[in-house]
Amino acid sequence: MQTEEIILQRLDAMSLHVAQLVERQRAREELFDELTPIAREALATAITRLDALDKQGHFAFVTELAQVGRRVIEGFTPADVRQLGDAIVGILDVVRALTRPEVLQIATDAAAAMQHADATKPLGAFRALRATRDNDVQKGLGLLIDVLRRIGHGVNAGAEPDHKALETKAKLAELLGPKRARMLPAAAAPKPAAAPKPAMPPPAAPGGVPMRSDGHLADPSGWTRTVGESIARDQNITLDEPRWALIDAARADFATMQASPNIQRLTQVAKVTTKDLYQLFPKAPARTIAKIAGLPKPAGCL
Amino acid sequence: MDTTERKVAIICSKGGLDEVYPGLILANAARQSGIEALIFFTFWGLDAVTEKRVDHLHVNLAGNPASGMPTMIGGLPGMEAFAAHMMKKTMSELELPTVREMLKILVDSGAELYGCELAMKMFKRTKDDLLPQVKDVITAGDFFDLSAGAQIIFT
Repeated sequence: MQTEEIILQRLDAMSLHVAQLVERQRAREELFDELTPIAREALATAITRLDALDKQGHFAFVTELAQVGRRVIEGFTPADVRQLGDAIVGILDVVRALTRPEVLQIATDAAAAMQHADATKPLGAFRALRATRDNDVQKGLGLLIDVLRRIGHGVNAGAEPDHKALETKAKLAELLGPKRARMLPAAAAPKPAAAPKPAMPPPAAPGGVPMRSDGHLADPSGWTRTVGESIARDQNITLDEPRWALIDAARADFATMQASPNIQRLTQVAKVTTKDLYQLFPKAPARTIAKIAGLPKPAGCL
Repeated sequence: MDTTERKVAIICSKGGLDEVYPGLILANAARQSGIEALIFFTFWGLDAVTEKRVDHLHVNLAGNPASGMPTMIGGLPGMEAFAAHMMKKTMSELELPTVREMLKILVDSGAELYGCELAMKMFKRTKDDLLPQVKDVITAGDFFDLSAGAQIIFT
């Protein structure tokens, strides 16, 4: 009996529990029933809103932003970020400098030129050179070069001075000579008077007049027609009227110019052609004439 | 000095103003010294004896360290013409004959000028395109026949 009672008591207690559970469940269901329409309403609104946001591209933007963030995180270590924090003041300074109205104006103008890139004509080297005559282009070039100079200066200031490069530079400068090398030799300086050759032991002199080792008379003033004839005979040349005319012309020219005439000069002073000269004196006309006329060997290449 | 047997054969293979003159001056100096001279014009050297080009030879600046001008600048358009102009000016101040005059003087002096047959074919030129001073158009083999016993100078 005892046992039955206990069982009954327990059953009572359980039914009480069950009743409570059922009651709670019902209350929940009621609440749910009440809440459902509201939730539906809210959900619908939310979905509409989200849809509108999606249509405006916010989600795509956020997604992209998230990806950018991910990349940033992948690409940078915490140490980098710390450095970024340290540098933030400098960065802000740069941004402030870049956003000054005049700088922005230049950037806007440059961007405008790029927008019209299609209409820009290609420039050859010549036209590019010509374009540099334009004032604006000059100003722009100056600005670019100034920017480059500052960048270079900054880089140089940060870097250790490269002694090796400086040495190489100095060596190159030594090799290449002064920077402003002359392109072409200026008009030749007046030729120094040909130094008289040291009097060698005088060779056999026709007519007893001293001669140089090159076969020319040592002293033009010691020349006479007889001496000329005897030199000509040594050269197997018979002096006739036109040949004498050339000898006389050469002596006359030497008297005024203090230099033996070369072939070009002879054609001018004696009014003969180069051809004539070679016909009358087939072997080295100017030299032979100078020899016979008692003059030094003609100088120069021509 | 006995020069009776001497003879030079100069091969002129380049067509720059500064590259043509040395050969011509050497030949002229040889003739003035009683030395026989012949010049063989081949490849770009042909320009020096081509009627249409002889007066327009340029000076090569690019790759020429002696010019005193950096190759980068020497290679700019117009620089060669400018350098040729400057050189011609200096030469006329020195009363140096032009290439055309020089060739005439050489032939008058008894030097002989020859064109290279192969180069003529390459550049599609005929004997009529050349200056009248050119004696003949010959092959390299002919050149060696003609220059027998000569000292050969290549420029």
